[in-house]
Amino acid sequence: MPTRIEVVADPVRDRCLLTTDHLSPRQLPGADGVVRVAIVAAGALLLAGDDVRIEIAVSGSVRLEIVETAGTVAYGMRGGSARWDIDIRLTDGASLQWYAEPFVVSADADVTRTTTARLATGCTAHLRESLVLGRHGETGGILRTATRAWLGEDLLLAEDLDLSPETRTGWAVLGTNRCLDTVTTLGFRLPDDPQTLQLEGPGSIARRLVHEQHQSTLNRPASASYAR
Amino acid sequence: MGNAELVAMMLADGRLPTGGHTQSGGLEPAVRAGLGADGKQLADVAAYARDRLRTTTRVEAAVAVLTRHIATSSHLSGTKLSPGDENVPKNGPRLSERAATLGPVEAAWAARTPSHVVRGVSRRQGRLLLRLARRVWPDVSAYLPNDGEIARPVVLGVVGAVTGLSAEQVARTIAYDDAQTVISASLKLLPVDPADAATWLAGLHDDIEWLVKDVAPLTRIDEIPADGAPLIDVFAHNHAIERMRLFHA
Repeated sequence: MPTRIEVVADPVRDRCLLTTDHLSPRQLPGADGVVRVAIVAAGALLLAGDDVRIEIAVSGSVRLEIVETAGTVAYGMRGGSARWDIDIRLTDGASLQWYAEPFVVSADADVTRTTTARLATGCTAHLRESLVLGRHGETGGILRTATRAWLGEDLLLAEDLDLSPETRTGWAVLGTNRCLDTVTTLGFRLPDDPQTLQLEGPGSIARRLVHEQHQSTLNRPASASYAR
Repeated sequence: MGNAELVAMMLADGRLPTGGHTQSGGLEPAVRAGLGADGKQLADVAAYARDRLRTTTRVEAAVAVLTRHIATSSHLSGTKLSPGDENVPKNGPRLSERAATLGPVEAAWAARTPSHVVRGVSRRQGRLLLRLARRVWPDVSAYLPNDGEIARPVVLGVVGAVTGLSAEQVARTIAYDDAQTVISASLKLLPVDPADAATWLAGLHDDIEWLVKDVAPLTRIDEIPADGAPLIDVFAHNHAIERMRLFHA
């Protein structure tokens, strides 16, 4: 059973249906037209054999803001592996903002992480993914990511990253950096900036490759460089 | 049309006037960021070329393979071009119809190439190749406009289709060309012994053939790999605003 956050816009009160699994979503107070949901780990995460699936479905003219209360650490898995799959569906003008906290892959962890987003035309998503390879002073384990995003019928973004220790350390993927901090917008563009990648369709990627997660200048949601 | 083997050799030859000498395959900004600094660890050049073969170049090669596949099978007669000896019939579908069949493969490439800078570099190179190809292999005009910024692997895939290159030859041309671009640029950017450079290139043959074997059988657009390389994007963006540079990209 997946962890699920389902929000349907409603003129009287937006409906919000939350399903707990590995993660427990809890609704927070939010302004009109905004549904805020915190997600909290419902148990020890992320361990060998864990299959975390998070489904987000938002429909109608409402904005869902997901708040994480803490980062996630994938612990050493002694030959095992774990998955972390996010499935986002936005329809009828919905929008989503999710600034994820760091996702830390410890030594000897082996994690596959996928993000699949399907947005109807007119919907927007503003996502942060902050990947950290290894806790302080250790060499992180294996992380493979796959991102696919559609806007209407069009594939907007497809990116697979093999962040295994042997492939990430060269001059093409991460180099000597330990953290890959990414803000992705779908359905709208971030302002032009020399380091911002503008997708072919309406969307952008702002990325920082840094040694320490706190060095990333994407940390502050209020920053004028990418807020609004 | 001539011998496919010779066409592949022409396409892989740096002396073909398509502006290959202006490209370093992202090596120049990587050197600026410290690759091979102080003349040390020069073999990182070969490792960088290998990383590209496993990521962005793999995507480009797959796009060229798919383009060749689509162009070959959109042939009006319904029969596939037999290698080397058959021309595209002049009375086939109109250009706009044929170009439309290649739209989805260029879109798939664009979705897998998140950086507008990297896409721009490929499209400028594609334009140079297209302008040459329409003179040398006029049949490309059946699939592509006479001029325009079209992703280089798409143009190369069309050239492959009209000259009877196999999927393997198309993939190998993309892979070899990329590795050779990086390695020959290293001779201008770093104190590299040319014999070492050639040795590195020979050392990449297995990686090139692995890539060829991997992407040549692809026949569906959604099978195109999407391997990204964030540092290549970062370097490309640094390079785009660099005022003193030897190579365009």
